[in-house]
Amino acid sequence: MMMTLFAPELTVLATAVVFVVLACLPTPDARRDYLTAAGLGALTLFVALTALGVQGDLFQEAYRVDRFSQVFKTLLALAAFLVILLCRRLQEIPIQRHAETYLLLSTATLGLMLLVSSVHLFAFFMALELSSYSLYLLVFLHRDQAQAQQAGLRYFLVGTSTSAVMLFGLALLYGATGTAHLGTLTANWGQWAGQPTVLLGLLLTLAGGFFKLALFPFHSWAPDAYERAAHSVAAYIATASKVAAAAALLRLTGPLTGAGGLLVECLALLAILSMTVGNLAAVAQTDFKRLMAFSSIAHAGYLLIGVLTFSTAGSSAVVFYAVAILVMKYTCFLVLVQVSGDGRNLAIADLAGLHRRSPLLALALMMALFGLAGIPPTIGFSGKLLLFHAALQKGHLLLVLIAMFNVVISLYYYLRVLKAAYLTEPVLAQQPPIPLATGDRALVLLLIAAITLIGFYPAGLLHLTEAAAQVLF
Amino acid sequence: MMSSPPIEVVLLLAVALGLPLTAFGVIMTLTRSQPRVSAIISLGAIAVAFGASLSLLIAHWGMPTPLVYEITWLVAGELPIPLGVLLDPTSLLMLTVVAAISLLVQIYSLGYMAGDPGFGRYYGCMSLFAWAMLTLTVSSSLIQLYIFWELVGLASYLLIGFWFEKWTASEAGKKAFVMTRLGDTAFLLGLILLWLNLGDLSIAGLNDPQVADRLSPGQLTLAAVLIFGGIIGKSAQFPLLTWLPDAMEGPTPVSALLHSATMVAAGVYLFARLFGFFSLSPAVMTLCLAVGTLSMLLAASMALVSRDIKQVWAYSTISQLGYMLMGLGAGGFTAGVFHLTTHAGFKALLFLCAGVLIHHFDTNDIFRMSQRGSRRQRLTLVCLVIGAAALSGLPPLSGFFSKEMILAHLAVHAHPFWLAAGLLGSFLTAYYTFRLIFVLLRPAAETPSDDAEGHHHSEPFGELCMAAVLVTLAGLTVVLGFGQGALTHFLSAAAGAPPPAPAHHLGWLPVVVLTLTGAAIVAAWWEFARQKRSETGWVDRFPTLATLFARRWYLDDLYRWLLDRVVYGGFSRAFTWNDQRVIDGGLDGLGQTVIDWGAISARLNRSQIQFRLMVLFAVVAVLVLYLAFA
Repeated sequence: MMMTLFAPELTVLATAVVFVVLACLPTPDARRDYLTAAGLGALTLFVALTALGVQGDLFQEAYRVDRFSQVFKTLLALAAFLVILLCRRLQEIPIQRHAETYLLLSTATLGLMLLVSSVHLFAFFMALELSSYSLYLLVFLHRDQAQAQQAGLRYFLVGTSTSAVMLFGLALLYGATGTAHLGTLTANWGQWAGQPTVLLGLLLTLAGGFFKLALFPFHSWAPDAYERAAHSVAAYIATASKVAAAAALLRLTGPLTGAGGLLVECLALLAILSMTVGNLAAVAQTDFKRLMAFSSIAHAGYLLIGVLTFSTAGSSAVVFYAVAILVMKYTCFLVLVQVSGDGRNLAIADLAGLHRRSPLLALALMMALFGLAGIPPTIGFSGKLLLFHAALQKGHLLLVLIAMFNVVISLYYYLRVLKAAYLTEPVLAQQPPIPLATGDRALVLLLIAAITLIGFYPAGLLHLTEAAAQVLF
Repeated sequence: MMSSPPIEVVLLLAVALGLPLTAFGVIMTLTRSQPRVSAIISLGAIAVAFGASLSLLIAHWGMPTPLVYEITWLVAGELPIPLGVLLDPTSLLMLTVVAAISLLVQIYSLGYMAGDPGFGRYYGCMSLFAWAMLTLTVSSSLIQLYIFWELVGLASYLLIGFWFEKWTASEAGKKAFVMTRLGDTAFLLGLILLWLNLGDLSIAGLNDPQVADRLSPGQLTLAAVLIFGGIIGKSAQFPLLTWLPDAMEGPTPVSALLHSATMVAAGVYLFARLFGFFSLSPAVMTLCLAVGTLSMLLAASMALVSRDIKQVWAYSTISQLGYMLMGLGAGGFTAGVFHLTTHAGFKALLFLCAGVLIHHFDTNDIFRMSQRGSRRQRLTLVCLVIGAAALSGLPPLSGFFSKEMILAHLAVHAHPFWLAAGLLGSFLTAYYTFRLIFVLLRPAAETPSDDAEGHHHSEPFGELCMAAVLVTLAGLTVVLGFGQGALTHFLSAAAGAPPPAPAHHLGWLPVVVLTLTGAAIVAAWWEFARQKRSETGWVDRFPTLATLFARRWYLDDLYRWLLDRVVYGGFSRAFTWNDQRVIDGGLDGLGQTVIDWGAISARLNRSQIQFRLMVLFAVVAVLVLYLAFA
């Protein structure tokens, strides 16, 4: 029984063990590591899909397996698998570190999977730390040691500070209520709802999720980490980590159904600050990955709008938008990896002439950026529409207006990237075309199809996300 | 009223209204490059449509009440917008007239337009016009009428600018479009006003006298004046009359069909359509009478000095449309509609004759035509004289009867001033018409040197088509007048139409009119045709007056001045300033501000880790304090 409930996590754990062994082998072999990782990643995805329907409790009810967690585990397995596919030419990480990279990716995925199922606050904290520490180390693994260490150290410092805040929140929550189990909290929320200590404890506990999501003011690690980490690591942080963070926030705010007042105000304030800071700073960026980081900060703000509605519609919209972010951000990083070639960072200006070097990649980039900017008919448009609609149902008109104004600002810098890719002529007249392997070509087409088709027919995905969100309430 | 129509009526209507549209679609998409096929399609469509219209007219001859068939086209908010037909004597007569003239003109065009590179496009546009105009005539509501009103305007624009490579032609098309749009804007405002107050724009509903109870007199008059604005634009009445002479840049058959016989008459037709409604407002009836009279006299005066045959007929069209409006404005519904019908016939004839002459002599100038031997075009000149006599109102031609009816109505029902104006107009008409005829009839000054003059050697078939059409129209002009009794009877069956004027009381009127006309003809003969002719008209003895007429009373100069000063100098400059400074400047400023803030935000995010952690804890502390103490 336990084995079936825990199967995806066990597969990831097994993957980690395999890479512990591979890392100990004296001869590094990039191709062997890549193929093993890809195979095991596909296996994990398959197992997660088979486990989509299971339900149950584990570990003295500290761990819940339900539709919500399983949907997210599948998404995480998908994200991890996709990121591994980016690692075929992992040139920015020294070859002897490749096995360790996959090992850390596995433990990070394991941590995130545990996170989305945790219903006990301590389990929650443990899972969060497991994934965080894996990611700190991953940022360090770059051939440009000085830069990577600086970024990794910042990431680590912000992370530990956030952990401190979160632990403080946990302590307050536990001290005030005498329980750390989310189920018990939900069941008895009525008697604690008015106490400032409890609200404060919950808000500070949410800091863990905010940090993962790179929400203001826990965002300051993101630009450096994105810029200095290897492309695939940055892609992982931008996709898998964000998906899990959305899930964690939804789990933690589960008890707050129908709540309003002060906590909503605080969350709305954070959402507005995050969007505005992210979008404004993104306007001035020249590095593509740094731009992506600020875009992530802005999107964290949009996601929080859905979270703070504390309604099924809002939660469902958050899940939908998490999927959208996964697809769109991954597409951006895929284009980045393909254009970058040898793993160096790309300035936006380096994209000049992309539409001639590879029309398909340029098209994919365009669709992904249109999606991020929320232009119909893309998955990003549907996601934003659902988020804003859920917020309007709860009467957050001002918040939605500010968000829309932010969307306009964001359009500016997304279009700057597209302008470079489509209109600007490259400085060097003759740039070689970018060869795409058949598999990559198929993957790109698949992503474009996903972005547009779900934009046209969001109903199918919406059905799934509603089913997942239903579990929370 | 809303019964389902009999099947044969549906079929006939579908054929009459649907075929020209189909022809337009097929020609424009498929066969435009094949002139012969396009012409056959278009001609076939309009011929069948004519047959259907005629059957409808005969089938409904003497019907007791108007028939309305409507379906709901779309629903805007609460208001359904219907699409339908209104069949009554007025609409059936107009439908038949339009179909008949369209058919004749299209046959004529086979010869006139032969060899033109845009032959297919020409027939496509003609089909578009036929469809729009036919549907306009049977529209059951003003919304539908307005839609097709604009569509005939579009067809007119396309056909005036048919030879668009010629600068003046495309300019004339633009002028016609813009000037008629001015009137149409008023029309639309009137419709909106009515819709807001009545919620119903069906023609039958508007002609109901109860409308007066549901609208305040002020609103009623305002709406009627605004709709009358549309009529002024479309029928080229004062002050929007100068587009019509310029519209003569289009091919002559187009001028015959659109700019004299049918499209410009749509304005008058609309007035007749809403006769009951307009009758409710005496102020508007007087306005109509005044505008009609003024346009009639102005245009007639312009025609006195023009040397261009098409210009003369264009002025005369404005003038005759003015007559119709005078008749209607004086309350003579039957008189106005009857003159509309007869005018369609003889004016088409006059234009088509002019077309033959222009085709043959390659000039529009009547004096040069006569020098080159216009007199030898016997058949054309005979037809031309018949048409001219009808225009001047000589018995027993159709124009005599209809003009007589209008004047009789003015004599009985209006102030003597209007009758005097009408008589003066009738004198001027006869004078300018026969001035033209006598000039054309003069013996040729040059020996015929056809080949040197670039004479068109048309194919015999084309010549035959043109001649056949001329003879048919001339025949109609001769005959139609005798149908007065029947037509009057038929028309007075229309609901709301007052009984025809008792013309028989006025035995003196025909005598006066004929005397005046005769005097005018003699004057024209004296100046232009006798052996020792002076070659100068009496107007030319007063150079100031002649210049005034030739410059169209300086109306175009006035419009130009207004356009330059008010539109370009005033509005355009103000809007341009607003666009550049306020809108562009504002947006640029906003954008630059955002970018500046972005730079600041980005710089803050590049700060040292200590500062970042400080921000983190500071924000958390603020939140803690807020939650704990709020």
